[in-house]
Parts: sequence; structure tokens; C-alpha cells
Amino acid sequence: MVLPDYRIYEHPILDFKRGRRVKFYYRDKVIEAYEGESILAALYAVGYRVFNRSPKLGLPRGAYCMIGKCSSCLSVVDGVPNTRICVEPVREGIHVEPQEGLADIRRARRQENVETIRVETDLLVVGGGPAGLKAALVAAEHGADVVLVNDHFVLGGQLVKQTHKFFGSRDYFGGTRGFRIAEMLSKKIKEYNNIRVYTNGFAYGYFKGGVVGVAVHGEHPLNLLVKAKTVIAAPGAAEKGLDFEGNYLPGVMGAGGAQTLMNQYGVRPGDKAVVIGSGNVGLIIAYQLLQAGVKVEALAEILPRIGGWFVHAAKIRRLGVKILTRHSIVRAIGTERVEKAVLQAYDEHFHPIPGTEKEFGVDLVLISIGLQPDTKFFAQAGAVMKWVPEAGGLVPIRTWGQETSVENLFVAGDASGIEEATTAFIEGEIAALSALLKLGIGGKEVEERRGKLIDFLWNEYRMAPVVRRAREGKLKVTVSEEEMEKIRIGEYT
Amino acid sequence: MRYDVAVIGAGINGVYTALELLDRGIEKIAIIEKNYPGSGGTFRCATGIRASFTSREHVVLMKRSIEKWKELSNRFGFPFVQGGYVWLLSREEHLRNFKEYVRFHHSLGVPTRIVDPDEIKELVPTIKTDTLVAGVHDPIAGKSNPFTALLNVLEYLKKSGVEVRYPEKAEKIIVENREAKGVLTEKERVEAETILVAAGYGSRDILSTCGVDAPINNLPKHALITEKYREVFKPLLVDWETASYMVQTVSGGFLIGAELEEEYNRPPMNRIEFLYTAVRIWSKYFDWFPSTHIIRYWTGYYVMTPDHHPILGPVKDVESLYVSTGFSGHGFMIAPAASEAVAEWIVRGKPGIREAENLTIDRFKEGRLIHEIAVFG
Repeated sequence: MVLPDYRIYEHPILDFKRGRRVKFYYRDKVIEAYEGESILAALYAVGYRVFNRSPKLGLPRGAYCMIGKCSSCLSVVDGVPNTRICVEPVREGIHVEPQEGLADIRRARRQENVETIRVETDLLVVGGGPAGLKAALVAAEHGADVVLVNDHFVLGGQLVKQTHKFFGSRDYFGGTRGFRIAEMLSKKIKEYNNIRVYTNGFAYGYFKGGVVGVAVHGEHPLNLLVKAKTVIAAPGAAEKGLDFEGNYLPGVMGAGGAQTLMNQYGVRPGDKAVVIGSGNVGLIIAYQLLQAGVKVEALAEILPRIGGWFVHAAKIRRLGVKILTRHSIVRAIGTERVEKAVLQAYDEHFHPIPGTEKEFGVDLVLISIGLQPDTKFFAQAGAVMKWVPEAGGLVPIRTWGQETSVENLFVAGDASGIEEATTAFIEGEIAALSALLKLGIGGKEVEERRGKLIDFLWNEYRMAPVVRRAREGKLKVTVSEEEMEKIRIGEYT
Repeated sequence: MRYDVAVIGAGINGVYTALELLDRGIEKIAIIEKNYPGSGGTFRCATGIRASFTSREHVVLMKRSIEKWKELSNRFGFPFVQGGYVWLLSREEHLRNFKEYVRFHHSLGVPTRIVDPDEIKELVPTIKTDTLVAGVHDPIAGKSNPFTALLNVLEYLKKSGVEVRYPEKAEKIIVENREAKGVLTEKERVEAETILVAAGYGSRDILSTCGVDAPINNLPKHALITEKYREVFKPLLVDWETASYMVQTVSGGFLIGAELEEEYNRPPMNRIEFLYTAVRIWSKYFDWFPSTHIIRYWTGYYVMTPDHHPILGPVKDVESLYVSTGFSGHGFMIAPAASEAVAEWIVRGKPGIREAENLTIDRFKEGRLIHEIAVFG
């Protein structure tokens, strides 16, 4: 039987230089893949859509986030259950099995004794996205010893799937496409021998004494115990889900998940799509779907107006995409995957209007209704958190210098509240400069640079009307050093 | 508005006492919670429930509790799984002690039993018993889900008109002429006929605002849970040598607690040696354990009294003030019985279960401490 092929071979912007061919086993089938692909991307490319089943009802589970933030794709890899195959690279000869609901741990392969390595460093950076990469580079430039850990096996965070050109100042890569920035920064990181990089390394906890445990997965697993004088955590964000009938069906995916498939791995996520949500992400993804050869049947926005920028909306309209404002999805229909999506009109009180259902024959429903900060690391570390809707949810309280209530633990990027890559770069840089000051490196020059940058970020960059809301959100969780001291002596709850 | 009863603390004991009061016809009830319901000990607990204790007071109350767990889980639609407890004993001297405990249990109608390593294997599939001399099986013990056990009842209380006020910190118990009159919260003065302090680790502080000295100390504790897996075994396991426990919760995660040296009343922090300790202990018993993924590690307090027994009932020096705290690590399992006793006390002046009368706060001043041979985990 010939398996289908969803790999993209021609693309207006991207040129997919695929790695060496590798073969691995899925169930009893031999799957051909390319080095550098995740197991999930490789399986998706040859038509697999169901990777797991729900524990109680046995309903199908497909790809959702594609970046290790959800648990939709849990599978058994070489005898280890509950493996997120979206962040597990393909390797020659591995055996992958789907999971049927909860795993039977009794059948798990006994893990070898994993070697524990203890390292000391000036700065540990958790997360190799825009904030983390920038932080590592700035600290390294000043001579600090840096350890960078990244849960994905590729550095760059979500930059790797951004094909659009960045706006704004050249200092922060204006005019360059996101994936190119990721390439540039990753290359630069490798040039510093005072930066040690561990990819496929998951920071599992922050412990008493400033020790961070990192589980490094892969062929030679490691338990890395990093004793760092300072820690900058920039673990990013996860896509929000949406409640509607049938939302569990494979084919209902985070818009960013689809973006990972098509832009990072060159795998077409489906044939026909509806996109829910008209923020910039939704609009850009609709455009990128078209570039990847997916037909976009409609883009729905529950508000009366498009959320993202006019230029993006105009572009997809010109290409014939229907934008339905005051509409949202009410139902996805299908048995093992999405076959149809039903959109419906909503009134000004966000109630669906009967009789306005529109049915679309699609195999993709892409949810693009926003992100939520991934702040588990901070919560576990004991940082004082606050719920701020404008920032996307629960975020750590921090000083102007990005330090949390846990001394010497800094936050940067989307985990500090949802914005975009440019502010992630700036926050990463501010955090790095703050860490340098704590380390006693740089002195006055560093302090001045930090002051200027904080001023630029708050009084110039974030004053633009489109990012005002994010600025207001972040104001609610940014405090002076004195206020932070008070928070630190607050009682345990 | 003046309440009949104001309960300080929306943990399992505060909430269940409110339920028992409501069932006895008391309608104007307020529960004042400084954080969110369940946020203290309840949502951090090990989920285990047993009657195999080593004092008459504990055994009698816990036996009643098990009866009530069955009732309440049916009434409110949350799980109570009677999967038992198994103590794992690796030393002869421990076995000798346990033989004595088992005799004591039998005298009070708790059918515990010494089991040999082969029987342990039947009760706990996949366990390796080569380091064990014997085990003790308590077949009537069980486990529940602290989240639904609290929240399902709380929903019912709210629908029945109980006012659940949170987040609202109780700052002072107002006492006039040696009688409790109400609670001063960060927001306002809340008047009530009767005040119940069920404030877990905050009980000592709030009681001190009206001059009541409760000899309570908060002992930091550590626990972790793995991702969910298909059921491997039902009983809660206690490794007696290390005082560590492991239970596969009703949701499927393996929940483990282990001893670390800690100081009283200090804010606990996550310590990496806890993970090492837990993994070392339980990898010895289960080959598959190293392949599980730990997803969460949290700390909390055991609210300890000098004799490791709870403080229940009225306070002699202050009229209309009742206490339900100091559970010393067993607040969740005892909640149904303790709540019933305290509600009876408030409504009828007596706790129903006679043994509860030995547990009032005055026992410390009067030197009537209760002796418990063992506190597990």
C-alpha cells in the first residue's frame, strides 16, 4: 500500500532542505522520514491523524499544539509511554506505538540508570525562543558563563515557523523573516564557547538553593543539575482551546500547530480549512495556508470587527478568503477526524442566532483565539503570580528589571504576558542586563543600557495603539524593587 | 446580616461541618476563606482513608468516617474506592510491633491482617518483595478524590444558601464578655451566633486573636504525583522503613510522600532531594517506576498537635467558639466524622461519638493528652 504524501515540495518563500533519510517503525509499518523532523510531523506527512484515544470514551486524539505544550499526541516511543511525539525527533530504527488512552506502565521498558551531571554557571537560560536566545547572547557578550536549555530539539522557539518579515527597528530584526532570525541567532549562540547548549532538555523544576533540574532526552539521556547564580526563564506560551461540539476531533488544531507543520516541517496540515479568530495570527495563518496549498473556506471572527491589522486582512480577502465577522464555530462533525465544520452567526450578546448555520466540508479547523503564558516553572518555583486577562492569564509579578519574587529568577517573553517576538527580544535583553548586574559584571555601562532599554520599551515601543492593551496588562504585574521586597515577605498561602 | 454559624476556613472540615449543620436545620451559615476552597491541606492531601490507627479515639472516629465516606460519595457523586492499605515491613522488629497493632485493631472491629510476601504480590501486582519480611493489610481502608469530594459538596451548599466568602481573610475573632460575637475580616465585621475555626495551618494565628492558645505547629511536608496511567494496584502503600507512602489516585497518577527533615512553621520550599528520595524508595519496589513522568511536586503542612490528635469542639474559656483543627496529617480522612461530631456539638451540645469528647482543646491544659503509637507518612 502506498502511503499518502503531505510533504510540501514547492513553496513561494520556503525551501525545505530535508535532512538525511531515516526509517523507523510505527506499529508494524516502516515509516520513511527525514532527519530533523519530529515523529509526529513524519507520521502526519504520510497521512496518520489519530495518535491516541481518550481514556474513558475512546475518542480519537490528534495533533493539537505541535510544540510539546498539550498532551494530545502522547505515544509509546521505544517502550516509554506518555512521550510527546511532537517534540521527539525521528531517529533511525526507533519503535513508535500509538497509545490507547491511559498507558499501561507495567509494560514500560525499564529506564537505564540515567547519568546525573552537576554544572555550575553564572546564568541559566530556560527556553531558546526569542527572549531566551537574546538573553543568552547579551550575557555571553559580557563574558558571563551561560547554560541554555531548550525543550525542543531545535533552537528558535516559535520563530522557526514565522515566515513573515518583522516590523520595526533593525536593532530587533525589522525587515527579516522570523525563521531567518532563528537561524542567525542559533548560529551566533554556537560561536560563543561560554554558552553551553542542551536541546531536548526539559527544565523540570526550580529547587531550594537555586538548583534547576533538567531532563535531557534523546539517545543519551541526562539528568542535568544546574546550580546557577541567576536564572532567566522564557518558556513561552501555549495556544488556548475553544469549547464547541466535536472540538476533540483530529483536524481541530491550534493555528500555531498547523503553522509548525507547514512552515517548520513542510507538511501540509490538510486540504480545506476554516480558521477561527481574526487576530494577526489567524490572518497570517490563513495566508500561509494558501501558500502551503490549503484551501481556506472561511475565517470566522465572533466580534463585529477584525482583530488583526488591516493589511493582513486585505491580503487574504484579495485571495478570495471569506471573512465572516460576528461568526464562530458551533460544531465539528466527523468520526475519526473532522469532515465538516458548522459556523453560525452570533448577536451582540454573543448568543448564536438560530437558522444561520453554515456548513463547510473541511478537514481542518484552526483555532486562533489567543495564547496563554506557560508559567508552570514559575509557579513551581514559588513565584508570586497574578491573574491578568490582558496578559493572557496567570503571570509572575516582576520588577522593571524582569526579576520575579523568587530572588535571581527572571522572566522574559510570552511567559511574562503575551506580546510578540520584538518585545520578547527586549525583555530577554533587560533580564540579561539585570542578571549581569546581580553577578557584578559590567557595572555602570550595563546599568545605563538597561535604563535606556526599559525606557524605550515602556515609553516608546509599547505606546503604539496596537500594543496598548498588552502594556496595560504588564503594568499590573510590574513593580518597583521596594514593592517586590514587600511581596517577598508576604505570608505563605 | 447575622449568621447562625460563621466557619473560618473552606477546607474539607469547614465545608463538611457546614453540610452537617445544614442537614440539622441550621440555614444561615457563612464560610470565610482567605484563599480559595481546598487551598490549604485538602487539595494537597494524599487522598487515603483508613481506620487502622493506634488510639481508641482515632479508630472509633475513622470507622465512623469510612461509613460516612460511603454515604457522602453516593449522595454527592464523587469516588470512594475501598482499595485498602498495605504496610510494607522490612524488619522483624516492625513486624512484632504491628502484630500488637493488629490485635488492637481487632479489639475495635478493624479487620487488619498480617500478610506474607506472596499475599502482598497478590494485593499489589508487579511489586518486588525481596526486601520484605511481611506486610499488613487493612481491607476496609480506601481513597477518594479531594477535589470532587470538596467541590461537589460546596456547590450543594451554595445552592442551599450557604454563603461562601472568598478570598476574604478573617483577621480577628470578636469576643465580648467571654463570648464569641463574630469575625472581623479584611472587609467587614461578620456577626454570628457561633464561630467555628477550621482554618488548618492558619488556626493558631486566628485563635490567638481572641486569646486562645492552641498548641499547633505546622510541619512542612512534600508530595509529588506522576502523570496518569492505567490502574496497576488499588491499595495505598506505606513503606514503613522510610515512612514513605505511594498511592495510585482514583484519577490514575501515582502520588508519593516521603520524609524530609523539616523545621516547624517554616514556609516549605521544593527540594530536589525529595524527588531523589521518593524515586529511590519506590524504584526498589517497582521496575516500571523510573519510566513514569512526575508532573507535579508540591508542599504543604501537617498541622500538628502535641499528641497528634485533632482539636475538636467547644473552647471552655470562650462561649460560642468551636474548633476543628490540628488533624496532624489526617484531616481529609477524618473530615466526615469530625464534622458530624462538631455539628452535633454545636446543635445539641454533645458530639454524638463519645470519644470526640476527649479531643477538646482543654486537654492540653488539663494534661489529658492522647497517646498514639504511630503517625504514618
